[in-house]
Amino acid sequence: MIFRLALASLLARFVTVLMTVIAIAFSVALFLGVEKVRTGAKASFADTISGTDLIVGARSGSVQLLLYSVFRIGNATNNITWESYQDIIARPEVDWAVPISLGDSHRQFRVMGTTSDFFTHYKYRQGQGLALQGGALMDDLYDAVIGADVAAALGYKVDSPIVVAHGIASFTEHDDQPFRVSGILEKTGTPVDRTVIVSLAAIEAIHVDWKSGAKSGVVTPVEVIREMDLTPNAITAAMVGVKSPLQTFKLQRAINEYREEPLLAILPGVALQELWSIVGIAETALLAVSVMVVVTALIGLMAAQFASLNERRREMAILRAMGARPWVVFALLLLESVVIAFVGAVLGIALLYAGLIIAQPWIDAAYGLWLPIHAPGLQEGLVIGGVMLASAIVSAVPAVRAYRLSLADGMNVRI
Amino acid sequence: MLRSLSLLALIAASPVVAEGARELSAHEHGVGELNIAVAGSDLVIELHAPGADIVGFEHAAESDADKAAVEAALAVLGDLSSVIALPAAAECSVSAAEAELHIEGAHEDHDDHDEHEAHGHDDHHDDHKEHDDHKDHDDHAHEDHKDHDAHDHDEHDHAEEAGGHSEFEASYTLTCAAPDQIETLDFAYFGQFENARELHVQIASDAGAQAFDVERDAAALDVKGLF
Repeated sequence: MIFRLALASLLARFVTVLMTVIAIAFSVALFLGVEKVRTGAKASFADTISGTDLIVGARSGSVQLLLYSVFRIGNATNNITWESYQDIIARPEVDWAVPISLGDSHRQFRVMGTTSDFFTHYKYRQGQGLALQGGALMDDLYDAVIGADVAAALGYKVDSPIVVAHGIASFTEHDDQPFRVSGILEKTGTPVDRTVIVSLAAIEAIHVDWKSGAKSGVVTPVEVIREMDLTPNAITAAMVGVKSPLQTFKLQRAINEYREEPLLAILPGVALQELWSIVGIAETALLAVSVMVVVTALIGLMAAQFASLNERRREMAILRAMGARPWVVFALLLLESVVIAFVGAVLGIALLYAGLIIAQPWIDAAYGLWLPIHAPGLQEGLVIGGVMLASAIVSAVPAVRAYRLSLADGMNVRI
Repeated sequence: MLRSLSLLALIAASPVVAEGARELSAHEHGVGELNIAVAGSDLVIELHAPGADIVGFEHAAESDADKAAVEAALAVLGDLSSVIALPAAAECSVSAAEAELHIEGAHEDHDDHDEHEAHGHDDHHDDHKEHDDHKDHDDHAHEDHKDHDAHDHDEHDHAEEAGGHSEFEASYTLTCAAPDQIETLDFAYFGQFENARELHVQIASDAGAQAFDVERDAAALDVKGLF
């Protein structure tokens, strides 16, 4: 009975109510959207590296080393010498090791020097391996394997020529030594998609004519370079697998206490957690802001209810005259608010899903962030419930006022 | 550019390396580190805790009271159950437990250090007594004792230079018949050592590594599904 009355009353004030519903819908969509991006970003980071027990690099911070070596974000870490790398991989605990050399670029994409072991040992998304969508792995010195995004953005096919630039600014190019695309990787949703992969020897080769960072006048012919010893002097980092997890900490300590060179070995999972604990503060702030927006929308709801009280005095008076008790007036207002909140929250969730479906491919392409679309679950249910409860609480204020008014001047309208 | 810079840095750094590297690891009073490595039914647990947390001081033990405190702490740390209480249902048995005191900045030889570790402090203590009393002792014990003395002396000198941080280290090797029964870890450690406030716990398994912080007020860790 009251419910029907409430619905009818809301419909009678359709436009005002619609505005309030829209405000709540947008606030709920924003709140859940922030939450989706937050969890999506976490999952996508966590999925980027799996199966690697330790990452070894120059002594810096664990977060810095992880970000630079795996995600190619942030400041470059120092290089480590090839000798130290050899010492480490000779240790009995080491099952496999993949060296990584960063520092050059191709257009906006990073070039990474590594060995063919990278393709066997690099795992993402719970142990998934890399696969080629076309071509083959590097065979020749001047072969490059490119990630799916590199191929898509630059329109490269297998056998396309590539010129690698020195550093990450492309004003100086190693144009005397062009590479050839030998293979294109399947899309992974990891930074590998945006990487040009060449052999370690190739990285050395393109630096043969570069002394002290500047290009020397003499150009060594490619044939001569091919004959040279292209063992690198240094690498940026190495991914290491241990024979047994029992030896992880032992190897980590041995590397961290390595005397000849200051090295750092990190556990990727732990470094990632460390990163979250830093980012957590910003995350909380972001979440707090989106909660604030929901609260603002609810205050808007309260304001709308207050505003309606005056124009509804007559309505209330009639209700009372019909025999409705004052609490019915109170309940009516409360119920109206809860219905507005419910419709708003549901609409908000619908908005979010619509947005996700439209923006998902775009976000993936632009930021490499894959936001999974799951059916609404407990979290969405809790949000709907929470918003309804909060709306009941805030609208209690106008409802109490309506209750008082209906007692005081219910039968005595002075307009 | 980077490449050649780091090469330069390497050349610049090499004389220092030749002298012997000077480096200290992180040290935070009140905060210890506990590493747990799991492979099937085998577990290796390592504890690193600042001397301040365990005995309340970090200088080399000189007075009898200090020495007694160190010995007592090592005896406590030698028993896994006084650090972590594992559920009985997991049926864990400890096959090796070691505890030692390590003084930061000490230029000890690592092989000696290991030997020292292998024998345990209690042994040395006993050896020492035997030696003083000129009772029966074999050559081996005597040698060990010398090593031990030299080692301590070394540590002491350098500890003063380096500011004298000391760290207790303990390691335990165990086998659990039903490791999946380990659902919570209760840290008896905080009850044993009143200066300890926090433990950074790292767990490494086939599934990768994870980190947790355990604090004195909530001295238990939910590890359901990790083992």
